[in-house]
Amino acid sequence: MSFLQILLQLTGGVGYTIMVTVACSLTGVVVGLGVAMLSRLGASWLSAVLGAFTFIFRAVPVLVLLFIVFFGLPNAGLRVPPLVAMMLSLGVIAGAYLAEVFRGAFDSVDASEVLAAEAMGLSRFQILRLIEIPQMLRFAVPGMINEFTTVLKYSPFAYTVGIPDVMKEAMSLSATTLRGVEIYLAVGIIYFLIYKLLVTGVWALEKRTRIPGLTG
Amino acid sequence: MTLLSVQDLKLEYDGRTILDGVSFDLAQGELKVIMGPSGSGKSTLLRCLNRLTMPNGGRVVFEGRDVLGPDVDERALRQRIGFVFQNFALYRHLTALQNVTLALRHLRRMPAAEADERALRQLARMDMQAHAHKYPAQLSGGQKQRVAIARALAMDPAVLFFDEPTSALDPLMSREVVNILHQLRDERVSMLCVTHDLYLARAAGGRVMFLDQGRIHAEGEVDELFGPNADPRIRAFFHQELQQAQAAQPISPAQPISPAQPMDGAQPVDPSGPAGSPER
Amino acid sequence: MISFLAQMLEYWPQVLSGLGNTLLLAAVISVTGLVGGVVVFYLAISGGPLRRRLTEGYISFFIGTPLIVLLFLMYYGLPQWGPKLTPFTVAVIGFTLNVAAYNARYLMTAFRGLDPDELQAARAQGFSDMQVFQLVILPQVMRLSVPALTNQVILNLKDSSIAFLIQYAEFFAQMQDLAIRSFRFLDAYLVAGAVYLALVSVVVVAARWLERRYVLPGVRRAR
Repeated sequence: MSFLQILLQLTGGVGYTIMVTVACSLTGVVVGLGVAMLSRLGASWLSAVLGAFTFIFRAVPVLVLLFIVFFGLPNAGLRVPPLVAMMLSLGVIAGAYLAEVFRGAFDSVDASEVLAAEAMGLSRFQILRLIEIPQMLRFAVPGMINEFTTVLKYSPFAYTVGIPDVMKEAMSLSATTLRGVEIYLAVGIIYFLIYKLLVTGVWALEKRTRIPGLTG
Repeated sequence: MTLLSVQDLKLEYDGRTILDGVSFDLAQGELKVIMGPSGSGKSTLLRCLNRLTMPNGGRVVFEGRDVLGPDVDERALRQRIGFVFQNFALYRHLTALQNVTLALRHLRRMPAAEADERALRQLARMDMQAHAHKYPAQLSGGQKQRVAIARALAMDPAVLFFDEPTSALDPLMSREVVNILHQLRDERVSMLCVTHDLYLARAAGGRVMFLDQGRIHAEGEVDELFGPNADPRIRAFFHQELQQAQAAQPISPAQPISPAQPMDGAQPVDPSGPAGSPER
Repeated sequence: MISFLAQMLEYWPQVLSGLGNTLLLAAVISVTGLVGGVVVFYLAISGGPLRRRLTEGYISFFIGTPLIVLLFLMYYGLPQWGPKLTPFTVAVIGFTLNVAAYNARYLMTAFRGLDPDELQAARAQGFSDMQVFQLVILPQVMRLSVPALTNQVILNLKDSSIAFLIQYAEFFAQMQDLAIRSFRFLDAYLVAGAVYLALVSVVVVAARWLERRYVLPGVRRAR
C-alpha cells in the first residue's frame, strides 16, 4: 500500500472532519456573539454571570466536557447525538474564547462614533447592529482565525464519540495494516492542508469585505 | 422667534461645578458662538441640550417643548438636532454616502434610492459629491468635516450644533469652516457653535458669548466683545491663547478632554478614552 | 453525587497518583516547551533565509496539525519499526514539539514590536549577535510575552488530559476508570471538570502575580 493510497483511503473522513469543525466554529461564533453582546448591553450583574461563564468554559478541558455531555448526560436521562455533543463541548468552549475576542474587538470601536450615533437619535440596539458589530467583526478576524484553527485541531476528539472523521478512519486503517507511522503522517498532512485552506479562506473573505483605513 | 431657550442650566459632576447657571436664547435662523477656554464646560453645555448629558438643574426649551422633562422622546429630540463633532466621528466602516444615508434609512425608513438621492444632494451642497464613495480614512480632515455636516443636514434638523469645528483642522481648513458657516447662515440654518478658536469666533460673524468656569460672562456682537472695553476675563483668555499659539505650532491645539468632564450621562461609553485602534 | 464522592474516597490513592501525573506532565512540558520555544525563536530570527523559512514552516506545521495525531504516530505507529516508548515519553516529546511552536510564535509576535533602533544601537556598541539576543532581545521579548506564555501553561494543564488517549495514567484516565467501575459517568466527569477548574484557577492567580511583577512598565503588551 503506497503513501498515496493511504492518503486516498483517509479522504473518506475529510467531510466529517470539516463538518465537525464548521458546526463547532459556528456554535462558537453564535455563543461568543451572544455573550459579548449581552455583556456590552446588559447590567453589571449580568456581565458578572457571563464573566463566570467564560472563565469556567475556558478552564475545563474539551475532552472532559465532551465526556460530560456525551457519556455523562445519559445518566441524567439525556441522550445527545455525537455531533451535537461536539457542538455543546468544543463549540461552547470556542464560544467562551470567542466572547473574549469579541469583547476586545468591541473595545476597539471608537467611542466617539457611538456617541455620534446616539446624538443622531439611533436606539442602543441600532447602534450595536449598524455601527459596533460591523466594525467589531472586522477587528476580530485574526482572533477568529486562531479560534477556528483551535477548533479544527480538537475536532479529532470526534472519534471518541463515534464520528467517522479522518482520525477514526486512520485508526481503523492502522489496525488492519499496521503502518501507523505513514498513516498518521498522512493524517497530519491532511489536517495541515485543511488548516491552510481554512486560513486562506477566511482571509480571502476578510479581503473582500475589507474597508480602507479600518483595520490597518 | 426663539428656537432654543436655556435658563439657569446647572451641572455638577464628582463634586465639581461644570455648569453654573447658564442662560441664553437662540433665535430661528441665528448663528451663535459660545467661546471659552478648555474646560470651561462648552462641550458639556452642548451635550446637555440634546440629553447626551443630563444637567442637575435649569430649563431647556426647544421648539416650544421642555427638553429635560421625564417624558421626552429622547431619540425624536436628537433627530431634530444636527450634531457635528469635534473629531467628526464619521463611521469608519461606511462610505461618505453611507454615513449620510444611515439615519435616513434607519430612522426615517426611507427607501435606499430616495435616501441616496437626498444624501447626494446634501453632499453636493457641501461640495463633496465627488467623494461620495470614499471611506473616512481616504478623506482629508476638511473633507471629513464636510461629510459630517452633510450627515447632520440630511435629517433637516431645526438646528446644527458644532463642537469645536476647527480644533482638528489646520488654519487653512479653519478658513473653509468659516466659509461653510457663512454659507449655512445665508441659507438661514440655525446654528450653535462652541469653540476656543479666537479666529473662528471672530470670523463666524454671529453673536458671541464668553463662557468660563461654567458661567457666561459676556455676550454681544463681535466688535463689543473684542473691543477695547472687553471683560478682563476675556482679555486674559485672549492673552493666553495668543501666547499658546505663538509658543506652539502653526496648528491650533486640539482641546484636551478633561477626564472629570462628564460628556455622557446615560450610556456606558467613555468618550475620554483613547480613540481605539484595532487590536492586531 | 455524595455516594460517588464516597466511592472516590475509596480509590483515593489512585486518584491522587493520577493528579500527580497530570501535574508532572504539565510542569515538564511547560518547562521543555518554553526552552524549546526560545530555541525555535532564536533559530527563526537569526541565520539565513533558508533557516528562517524552515523554522517558520515548523511553527506553522505544528500550529496547524492536531497534537493527538503526533501522539498517535509515536505511540501507535512507531512500534512497527521497533521502539516502544512509554506513554510519558511520547507525551513529553509530542507536547514539547507542539508547545515550543506556540511559544516561539508568541515570542516572534513580541519581537516584531521591538524598536529596531534599539537593536541597531546594541550592535553599534559592538555586541555580538548572540549577545544582542541574550542581553537585549530575550529579556524584553520574554517579559512582553508573559501573558501569552502563562496562558500557554494553562493550555498545557488542560491539554495534558489528551494523554489519556495514549494510556498515560493521568488524572482524567483515573476518573474515567472510576466512572466505568461505578457506572456514575456524569458524577465522575463533573468532578473531573471541577478539579481542572480549580487547578486552572490556581494557575490564573499565579499568572496574574507574575504579570504584575514582570511586565515592563511603559511597554505595550503583546497579545
